Amino acid sequence: MTDPFRRLSPSLKQRVGFLIFGNLALMGYIWFCTQRTADSSFTDELSRFGPNVAPELLAGLGLTGIIAAGAIDLSIGGIIVVAGSVFGILYEREISPALCFAACALTACALSALNGYAIRLLKIPAIIFTLAGLTFYRGVGLLLAKWVDPSFPGHYSLQKAAYHAPGKEYGGVIMYAALAVAILWEWHGKTPRTWLALGSSAEACRLKGMRTGRTLQSAFLTSGAFLGLAALTKITNQLTIEPSRLARGFELDVIGGVVLGGTNIFGGEGSYIGTALGVFFLYWVGQALIYAGISEYWRDAIQGAVIIAVIGFDCAIHRKRKLMEELR
Amino acid sequence: MRTLILPLLLAIELAVFLPYSGVRFDSWQAFSSGLGYYLSDIVVLSAPLLILALGMTIVLMTAGIDLSVGAMVTLIAGVMSSFEPGAEFWLKAVPLGLLVAIALGSFNGFLIARLDIPPIIATLGTLILYRGLCSVVLADRENLSPVPAGMGEFPGAALMALALVSLGGAYFARSRLRREILLMGGNRIAARYAGIPVHRRIVQVYALMGVLAFFAALCALAHDGSVNAGWQEGLELKIIVAVVLGGTRVDGGRGSIIGSILGVFLVTVLEVGLIGIHHSDWILILLGPLLVLGVWLNTHVNAALRAVRSA
Repeated sequence: MTDPFRRLSPSLKQRVGFLIFGNLALMGYIWFCTQRTADSSFTDELSRFGPNVAPELLAGLGLTGIIAAGAIDLSIGGIIVVAGSVFGILYEREISPALCFAACALTACALSALNGYAIRLLKIPAIIFTLAGLTFYRGVGLLLAKWVDPSFPGHYSLQKAAYHAPGKEYGGVIMYAALAVAILWEWHGKTPRTWLALGSSAEACRLKGMRTGRTLQSAFLTSGAFLGLAALTKITNQLTIEPSRLARGFELDVIGGVVLGGTNIFGGEGSYIGTALGVFFLYWVGQALIYAGISEYWRDAIQGAVIIAVIGFDCAIHRKRKLMEELR
Repeated sequence: MRTLILPLLLAIELAVFLPYSGVRFDSWQAFSSGLGYYLSDIVVLSAPLLILALGMTIVLMTAGIDLSVGAMVTLIAGVMSSFEPGAEFWLKAVPLGLLVAIALGSFNGFLIARLDIPPIIATLGTLILYRGLCSVVLADRENLSPVPAGMGEFPGAALMALALVSLGGAYFARSRLRREILLMGGNRIAARYAGIPVHRRIVQVYALMGVLAFFAALCALAHDGSVNAGWQEGLELKIIVAVVLGGTRVDGGRGSIIGSILGVFLVTVLEVGLIGIHHSDWILILLGPLLVLGVWLNTHVNAALRAVRSA
């Protein structure tokens, strides 16, 4: 059996090591806090972990491939809103849960694939196209709900337990299964390596004969598959779907987790295991802030600061290499 | 070509939306007074956008972007709204607001210039951070504006925007700074070799964006009369769309302040028009395709035109 981590760069291995230590330290702190209070237990905290972190992790797995290929998708929050509206509309019409789940996941998958296709077709930077998609998809979700039901009250209330199964009951299972598939694919598959190659040097890939547009599109399509599961677990884990507020800031939480996990924001480097550990770390930071008694008004600011610090640290350590490339 | 297309598009927008904006066509007197009110409304609503578009044009010229402007405007307004109107506003709120504005803008510049974070990622991060700070400053409150109401009405807001955009724009158009910024946006390595202090200039440009966010906050706060933590959400995209439609390239090296002014009026007339026909949510859908269209025109169509001319 060959070393599964052989393809990780030394800096990525260091990051994985740091994140394992950081996650354990934060979990240790939370365990310590739960022992001091009677109304919370660490077992409950662990049981909530899977369903709560699944959307960010699943979306992060998809985004890892896109960022590794040198692009980005800022519209994932908006796509989840459209998927949420589709789910809400079908729920209101009492369509069976299985069809609602399938429609929700397929909508997200199709829109992500559409992003990839449009970027390839229009030859516009992914960052700009998906920035435009950020409000566009949110608007589509909102108007779709209003168009189907002109008296739409602004939110869908999901009361029936059968419609919550993927998020509340199987969120953790879906997440771990998707993570296992992704890691195995990364170790044995060829496609993730082509994304890394594309992110490292698009020009070299072109000279090698690789069809770069198609490769980037495959990253968006794969991201769509993960994003479909992310949308499904996110939407079915809540009691209301409010298109105007759903998944606000979701994209940055996911990007923060992916970058923290060692994926280079400029492309060419990244791993699924790192992303998983990065997303888990940010989740445990959020929980630790709650146990530390930090006011809810401060939490967003602190989490924003943590994400900026993480991305800033990542960019600063890649700065020297980038400067050398510029001079070359 | 764009200087012809944009006024034409604006005229078409006005022709489409005027009948739904309360302007009456039954007599010349009713029409002229209605049109006067409508245009003064458009100018007042455009004032903060015009001020911010000036800064965003300069930021985009450096191949940067600032997604945190909406959050900056809210945070600056939130800080100023904690003071009473009158002397306390002028003596404490204004200096403190200006100081906060420079600090927020400079922080963006620091992240981009010194840590080398891509501008879109850095300012997306500070958008979340500054929005979080808005929640800290304002909590769930709706603070009343201490800014004199005249700054948010016609002609106060219009004069402020006109002074900043015309004087600032005229100075900038003739300054050495503009040429340096265009060179930085076009080819950063060449700019560095030409002796331009690239990092310092980037910090200065983002600090300037902060200062302009301060003036925009004054206008918008005076106009709206109150501020809460979610105030001005989505403002950044409106400004970027306006500036890009005006002909400024998102990858730097080219920009036009006059184009940005026309772009702001295009976006404002569209937004007010959609409100007039009771379809205000459509602005969310239209801004995205407008941004894509602007970028596509700026890159592909301009390249094709240049190729035709050179042939």
